Amino acid sequence: MHEITALQYALEKQGRRPIVVIDKPVLANGKISDIQVVCNLTASRALVARALGINDHRSAAPIYAKKTGNPIAPKIVSAQDAPVQEIVLEGDKADLTLIPALKQHSYDPGAYLTAAHATTYDPDTGVDNTAIQRCWIKSPSKMSYYPYPASHNNRNMRKFWAKGQDCPVVFWIGHHPAVLMGTQAKLGYPESHWSACGGLIGEPLRLVPSRTFGEKIMVPADAEIVIEGYALKDQLEADGPFGEYTGYSGPQVAAPVFKVTCITMRKHALYHDYGSGLTDMLVPDNMAMEGKVYSIVKAVAPALTNVHVPAQGRRFHAYMQFSKPGPGEVRDALAAALAYRRLKMVIAVDDDIDMFDDSEMMFALATRVQWSRDSFTIDGMSGSLLDPSTAAGAKTLSKIAIDATFPLPPFPGAPSPVPPRSTVPEASMAAAAKLLNGIDMSEWPTL
Amino acid sequence: MSKSNIEHIPAGASWEKSGNTSWTQCPSCKGWFHVGPGILNRPEVKLHCPHCSSDFAQADAARIIKVG
Repeated sequence: MHEITALQYALEKQGRRPIVVIDKPVLANGKISDIQVVCNLTASRALVARALGINDHRSAAPIYAKKTGNPIAPKIVSAQDAPVQEIVLEGDKADLTLIPALKQHSYDPGAYLTAAHATTYDPDTGVDNTAIQRCWIKSPSKMSYYPYPASHNNRNMRKFWAKGQDCPVVFWIGHHPAVLMGTQAKLGYPESHWSACGGLIGEPLRLVPSRTFGEKIMVPADAEIVIEGYALKDQLEADGPFGEYTGYSGPQVAAPVFKVTCITMRKHALYHDYGSGLTDMLVPDNMAMEGKVYSIVKAVAPALTNVHVPAQGRRFHAYMQFSKPGPGEVRDALAAALAYRRLKMVIAVDDDIDMFDDSEMMFALATRVQWSRDSFTIDGMSGSLLDPSTAAGAKTLSKIAIDATFPLPPFPGAPSPVPPRSTVPEASMAAAAKLLNGIDMSEWPTL
Repeated sequence: MSKSNIEHIPAGASWEKSGNTSWTQCPSCKGWFHVGPGILNRPEVKLHCPHCSSDFAQADAARIIKVG
C-alpha cells in the first residue's frame, strides 16, 4: 500500500517532480479501483506558479498577496451544472473504502485522505471555513477526522458540540491547483475561503449546495469527489500515528469520529493525494505563507521586496529580502514575521542574495552576521507543537530572528561601508561560458 | 495491566534536551508506537496499535513511557 508514496520519495531523491497519475490503483480489499490516483500535483514550485498565472515562482509572494487581497465572490450553480454531483451515492452505497486512499508511511495505521478539504461553518454566523485535514478511513461509513486543535474547523466543531449537536462537515477532494492554493490563504475567523479562491483564479468559484446540508455548506461544483456527513458529538477515537509535514511521524491522538451520509463524484473522478511531508504538500502551503508573510511585513517595512518559505525548512523558516531599508526597518520586519504562528526562524538578506539558493543564504549568514549583535530570540510564542524539538508539555516555543543584511551607506550615494563581493568581469564570464559550451564533457570524471 | 506500567520520565532543566514524545507498547504484538499527551489524558479512548491493529485500553498497555 505504500508503493505510490515510495515512488514520490524516489522521484524527489532524484530531484524530479512530475505529476504522477496511477491508472489502476489497488484498494485495501485487493480489488482494482476505477478511480485514478493523482499525486505530486503541487510538488514543483514552477508548476504551481504557472497554475496561478505567474511566470516565475520566485515572484509568487507579492502576486499571491495581491490576488488574495482582491477577493471575488463565488457563484452558485445548480446540481445539473455541477460535475461533482454526476454520481450520487447515499445509504449503504456511500462506501468510503471505494476511494483509493493511500497508506503513506510506516507508522500510519491505515489509508488516509490527505488532500481532503474539510468545509464546516460557524453556527453563530453561518460563515464557512475550509482547511486540509487528514482523515483515516476506518470502515465503509466511518473515518476519524483530525481538525488540529488551533484550527478554525475545530472551533466550529466545538461550537456545534457545545450546542449538543453533531457537527456538519463536507470534505471535497481534487480541483484546479489555483483553487487548492486559494484554500491555503491564511484568513481570520470567521472568514470564508471561497472569495480568496476566486481572487486567485480571477473569476467566481462555482459552488453547488451539498446534498446533505444544502446552502449551509456549499462545495466546489468542479471538484472531483465530495464526502458529506457529521463529526459525531463528543465521540473520539484513536487516530494516527501519521507522517506529518515536519518529516516526522506525529503521535497518536484522540480525534473526532466522522459518519458519512453521502458521497458524490464526477463520472470519471480522479482521487488527489498529497504526499505528506513531501514537497507535494509543502509547496502550496509554503507559497501561501509567502503571500501572507509578505502582507504582514510589508505593512511595517516598505523596503521588503520578497519572501521565501523554503521546503527545506518545512514551514518553520522564512527568508525576507530588502532593498535599501531604513534604520531599524529590518528589525521591525523580523519582529513582525516572527509573530506568524508557524515560523520559528526568519532571516533578512539584501537584494544581492538569491533567497532561492541555500548556498547563497549560507554565504550571507557566514559573512554578514555577528550573532550577538544581529540575532534575537523570543520565547513563549505560538507555533507548531509537532516540532520534535519543543519541550514536553510546552504550549509555546522559542523563535529566532537573524539580520543578515549589510549596513547602510553613511550618506546617499556613498558605497556601503563593507568590502565588495569578489566578482569576475561579465565579459570574461561570458567568454568562459562560451568556451565550456563547446567542450564535450561526457567522458570527464564526475567525482 | 495497572498504572504501575506507566513509566514517567520527567522533563529536565530548561537548558536540557529531554524530548517530547511518549511511547506505548502493544499488549498483543509488543510493538511500540508514539502517542500524544491528549490521548493519554483520555483513558476512555482506546489506543490502536498501528503494527497489528489491536485496540486496547491504556490500562491494558504492556508499557507506557510518558515523557514530561
